[in-house]
This record gives sequence, C-alpha cells and structure tokens, in this order.
Amino acid sequence: MQDHGFIRGSLAALAACAVALPVMAQSEDDTLVVALPTFSEQTMTPWGGSGQRKTYLDTVYEYLVYLDAEGNTEPGLAESWTVENDGTRWTFTLREGVPFSDESCGTVTAEDVKYSIERLIAEDSRAGPASTMRRIIDTVETPDERTVVVNLSAPDFLLDAGYFGEAQQLGIVCKSYSESQGEAVDSAPPVGTGAYVLESLVDGSEINMVRRDGDHWRVDPQWERISFRAVPEEATRVAMLRAGEADIAPVNFDSIAGLEEAGIRIVSAEKTWSPVIRLGGVVQSDPERFNAELPWADKRVRQAMNYAIDKQTIIDELFAGQGTVASGDTPVAAWDSVPPYPYDPDKARDLLAEAGYADGFDMVLKTFTTTPGAELPLMAEAAALYLAEVGINATIEPTDWPSVRSEWTGGGKLDFAMTHRGFPFPNPENGVEAGFSERSLFASFTSDELEAKLASLAAETDRAERREKLTDIGQYIRDEAGAIFMVLANEPYGVGADVSDWSIDTSYVYNFDRAGKAQ
Amino acid sequence: MTRLIMGRLAEALAALLLMSLAIFLLSRVTGDPVALLLGDGATAEDRDLLIAQLRLDRPLWEQYISFLGNALTGDFGQSVAAGRRDALELVLDRLPASLSLAGVALGFTLVTGIAMGVLAAITRGSAVDLLVRIVALLGQSVPAFWLGIVLIYIVAVQWGWLPTSGYGTTAHYILPALTMGTFTLAAVTRLVRASMLDALGSEYIKLARIKGLPEATVILKHALSNSLIPVVTFMGAFFATMITGAVVVETVFAWPGIGRLAYESIVSRDFPVIQTVVLVITASFILANFCVDMLYLAIDPRMRDRG
Repeated sequence: MQDHGFIRGSLAALAACAVALPVMAQSEDDTLVVALPTFSEQTMTPWGGSGQRKTYLDTVYEYLVYLDAEGNTEPGLAESWTVENDGTRWTFTLREGVPFSDESCGTVTAEDVKYSIERLIAEDSRAGPASTMRRIIDTVETPDERTVVVNLSAPDFLLDAGYFGEAQQLGIVCKSYSESQGEAVDSAPPVGTGAYVLESLVDGSEINMVRRDGDHWRVDPQWERISFRAVPEEATRVAMLRAGEADIAPVNFDSIAGLEEAGIRIVSAEKTWSPVIRLGGVVQSDPERFNAELPWADKRVRQAMNYAIDKQTIIDELFAGQGTVASGDTPVAAWDSVPPYPYDPDKARDLLAEAGYADGFDMVLKTFTTTPGAELPLMAEAAALYLAEVGINATIEPTDWPSVRSEWTGGGKLDFAMTHRGFPFPNPENGVEAGFSERSLFASFTSDELEAKLASLAAETDRAERREKLTDIGQYIRDEAGAIFMVLANEPYGVGADVSDWSIDTSYVYNFDRAGKAQ
Repeated sequence: MTRLIMGRLAEALAALLLMSLAIFLLSRVTGDPVALLLGDGATAEDRDLLIAQLRLDRPLWEQYISFLGNALTGDFGQSVAAGRRDALELVLDRLPASLSLAGVALGFTLVTGIAMGVLAAITRGSAVDLLVRIVALLGQSVPAFWLGIVLIYIVAVQWGWLPTSGYGTTAHYILPALTMGTFTLAAVTRLVRASMLDALGSEYIKLARIKGLPEATVILKHALSNSLIPVVTFMGAFFATMITGAVVVETVFAWPGIGRLAYESIVSRDFPVIQTVVLVITASFILANFCVDMLYLAIDPRMRDRG
C-alpha cells in the first residue's frame, strides 16, 4: 500500500493559500484609475520627453491658452493676448494670483513663463516640438510681472492655439523650484499650478496624483485621486475595464463591441489621427533622397494606388466604422474641402497602363503597430489585397517603428512604402512643413512647386489668405498623391460606470482633471 | 575546491565581457535613439546636434572602450530616454520586482512540479500518471502570453478572485507567477518523474522495502532525495528561463520589472539601459549557476572529490 497523503496535503495547502490571499480587484471609490499603454519617458518636466506624457503631466501643469470643444481658444494662465507686427509679436497678459503647488514658488509670474518657454526650446530639450519652436521663437521679454512678449522670427497667427495652447507641451513650471533641482529636475516631483500634485509613484507601474487643497481657479475636480497605471497590453487594459479595476483606458477598435456588451461605454476623440501609407523615395526636390527609379516616382502611379483601395470598406471592417476617408495625411480643418480619392480600380488600371505599368510591379510595404495604431498591420494586409487587384504585388514586411523611423530619417534613397499614422498639429502649417518640406528629415513627399507654395504660406501676413494657401497646399498634395491617403480615424476610450462626464475632443487634450464622478 | 571556484569566476568574467561586446554591437544594428528623440519637424542640423550631445559621433570602438572603462567603475551611463537617470539605478530599482516574481514562480514550480512528478512516478501507467503527463505536455506547449491573458479573463474578470494586473500585494503575484512558472513546471515534473522511476527501480529502494520501511519514508527519504539531484542541476537553467520569459509575462501583467524595462529600452533604443539590463541579467544567470554548482558540491560527494 503506497502512501500518497503527503502529496494531497501539499496540494491542498497550496490551494488554500491561493484562495486566502487578499483580493485587490476593485478600484478605490475616490480614485479615478486611468490605464495607459505607456508612461513614455516617465519624466516630470514639460521638456523632459514626448507629448505622450501629457496624459499625467496635464493634471499638474497648466497652459497659457486652453481650447474649447470646437478648438476655439480660451484664456488659461494668460487672461488675454494680442498679436502684432504681421504675426511676429505676441503679447500675453497673465492671470493674477494663480498659485503654484509649492508655496515657496508663490504665484505665476512672467519670469516663470519666460523660463518655461526657454527651457522647452533649449538645445537639450527632449520635447517633441522643441526643434521647430526653436526656429520660430526669436526672443522672450518680460516688461513687467504679468506681461510676456514673444518675438517670432516668422509670422505665426496660430501660436495661441498651437505651440502655446493646451494641446502642446508648454506647461508652465516654477522657475525657482526647477532651478533648485539642478540636473535631477526631470525626475523630481513636479510643481505646477494644476489641480493635482504628485502623491507617489512606482517606477514603470503607477503615477498617483492627489487633489490640491482649496478651490482651483480653472477646474473643480470630483475625484480625490487620479492613479495612472502603465499597462502596455491592450487585452489587459480591456480586462481591467471589465473587472472594474480601471475607469478609463484607450482601447482598440476590435474591442469596442465586446466592451459595449459588457456595459462599458465608449468615448471617442473624433478624427484625431490618420492612418496613412507613406511612399518612400519621393522627396523630389532633394537629389540625395529622390529615388527616380521607383514606379511611384510617376504621379500617375501614386494616383492609381489611391484609386485602387476601397478605403470605406477598410474603415467599416477594421476601424468599426469610426472614421472617414482621408484626403490628406493628417487631420487638418483647412483640408475638409479637399475631396478624397474615390474607389475606382478601373481608373487605377488605366493610370498604371498610361505610366507603363500595365502588368503592375512589385513593392515592399513595411508595417508596425503604434499607439493608437494597433490596426496598421491589418490595414497593410487589406491595402495589399486591393493593390494586387490592379497588378501591384506588395510584400508586407513587419517591423517596428524605431527601426523604420531611423531608416526613413537617414537621408538616403528609400525604396519602400510604410504604414504610418499622422496626428493633427495644433498649428497645421507646422504639420505640413514636417511632412512635405525638404527641410524636414521626416518629409515623405516634396517638389519644387510645393516648396514655393510653402514659402509663400510662410511669408503671408494676412490670416484669411494664409488659410486659403493652406487649403491650396492640401489640394496640391492630394492631386499629386503625396501618399496613399487612407483614414481620418477616431481614438476610442473605454469608460467605466463610475465616471459620469468625460469627453475628449482634441488630440493630446485629455481632461482627466474634469472627469465627473457618478453618484 | 578553490581551483574549481576560481575557474568558475574566470569563466564568469569572460562571459560578462563577451556579453558586453555582443549587446553593445547588437543594440546598434537597428538604428539609434536619435530618430526617436527628434521631433517630426526636425532638420539635419537638429540631428547632428543631438548626435553630438549623445556622443554617438565617435567611432564604435571608442564608444565601447569608454563604456567598458566606465562600467568597471560602476558608471553604466545615463538613460537617453528616462530623463537622464542613472542606468544602473534604473535597472536596480526594477530588479527586486523581477527577482521576487521569479522567486515565487520558481517556488511554485519546484513544489508543484516535484509533487506532480512523484505522483506520476508512483502511479506509473495509471490515469493519474497519464493526466500529469498531459498537463506537463500542455505546460511546455502553451505560449505564456496566451496563458496569461486566459488566466486574467477567467480568474480575474469572470470569477473576480484576483487582480488582473499590477504590482503591490501578495495577490498580484499569483497569476503572473503561475504563468511564468508553467513552462518550467512541466519540465520539473517530467524530470522528477523520470528520475523517480529510475530510483524506484534501484536496488537500494528494493532493500529499503524488504527491510519493511514505511512507503512514505521509502519515497520521501530514499527515492526522492536522490531524484532531486537532476532538478538541482537544472535550477540555473530554470531561473534563466524565468528571467527571459519575464519580458512577456511582465508586459501582459503590467509588472514593473526588468523584463519590461528591457522591452521599453529596446523600443526607445536607450543604449545605456539596454546594455545595463543585459549585463545585470547575465550576472544574475552566472550567479544562479554558480550557486547551483556550489549546491551540487554540497549534495554530491563525487563532485567534491573531483573538485
């Protein structure tokens, strides 16, 4: 007779331990839990990294200018402002008596704003717009404690809604505190004028904010705490929403139906990003980067590629119908009147034949996922199927964004296309320059005619004329088929039942400090 | 014994040196952090400025010698992405989370795997044996990311027994440790079963039974203690499996360990952090294998004699 009792006993003890352990499955009642794909650099200064950190930093830092749901400007830390000298001189008058979270900093002064601007555009700044802002901003003056004068080296009529607005990275910091932290300032507790302050953090896992005492001048936060959790796996974020562990989380389009069935509502930021297929090697005005051997060096081929793909079906099937067919590579309001390419495979075949590619050609289409942008590889597969219908044999090459970005900005003659996603620039003129000026390392399509149009836009000092010129540029890029324009897509978030009102209207404006609490 | 220990130490240093060179070169194969740090409107001048700031304009060999020299003094450089934080500090901050998870997973693996292996051996050919072997086969076949997500949906979402993810309480360990340990659990089970079957068929076990010792004593004291030697031998490899598997498990369960740090630093091409993570992991492997060697010396007299 063999004795197996000890084994049974061990297994029973293990099971008992597992069941007896404390369960921490529900989010705390007074804490808004936001599950994010990444904390990005997890640095705490506006200049210490990318705009993705705005999710959590915007509860601490505030901006000179805010945007309403329609994108119109509203006073922020600046209560008023004027633009003079044909768009090259901006004067901001600061709101009086807005206190920093650290008492030793006092209230916001012109010197704090000047320091924040100069730090953001410094050569060692890691902020996304640093290099462009460095070129635009000439000098910053502080004639008195409440006045900041910004002199620009070129006209910019959208500085308030653009680089100085809440959708960008110019959060106002306390000068004396930042200077006192020295080199450690990027990881020091942030001091701003926002409604929350940093309470604690677990490196790479949690950033916990707590509401400041007293009334706040701009918002009336309903949540005592906001806890940001870094959850890179989308399936885990969805599980957190379903289990009630997270209150708000960005989700993929294919998760929407399941979440809605489970009673989670979806809040979408509409048309905030643009999946697109960029064609390499057509920086035509730069001989170093222009690859004339490519089939799509011919405009007719690029147009054919645009006609060949049924983008509406892709939107319906891959983006849960949440988007519209794009006529440009990023969402730009001035391009709303530019018509997208219709789905017309016969016309695509005719154009290919005219260009000498009646039998089609082979190409490489590189793809990768981004956030948002989990759908890009599937979009590449779908596009390749449509291209095959007109004879273009696209070989899909899965890769990662850092690898392809290094290649794309390397300055050589590219011979491939890639899926990508465009985001709206607060000042769309900067976005156009980034994507279509030969000055930009990231440019995917340029021409001498386009360079002339961009120069004319930059020199224009009349606002209305400027907008018309921007629309004209959009029409030109569309007609030249500067990319395969695909989708203007929404950005869906799952929102749990404990959150009453919360909306997101603009890219990079998250409003977590305005989230309502259900009774 | 001293000669053996010195030999092991020399091998460890050589391995670390080779690994430092390998990771230094491999991390640079797919580009650098410059393209990622530049804004979308950046120009060629911005790129040159950043390359100079990051000191990536020097020849590769010079960068490597500089890295190696600084590493010997404990300076592994500053993170390019995470706010210029000290790379070693960043890695050491995340290390306890990974080690504690790997420790719990290893404990689970050993206790459960040995129990299942013994059970299968003493019930050889029965339905229980078949069941254990099927479980072992599945454990080695199921991908960790799939198992992790399935466990989250069943245990955390459907049953609500445990948190889906995160870090901080005892409950947070259970699902990631189960996921991390399942592959190794299957290996331990099969290893223990095989060596137990060998031991149970040996002459000394027959003698113990003839002497009338209780079956539990025969199995636990005589057969099991000898069957565990192969498990000890493989413990270093098991530990290595868990640390390398940590990248997937820590990502699925949002666990803030060095596996996720490795992934994040690779994505951002944060060379100093990538190099430090890999060297710390390599050092951990070497240390674990060194401990196994020492343990082996302690439990196997033949090794002591050879040493």
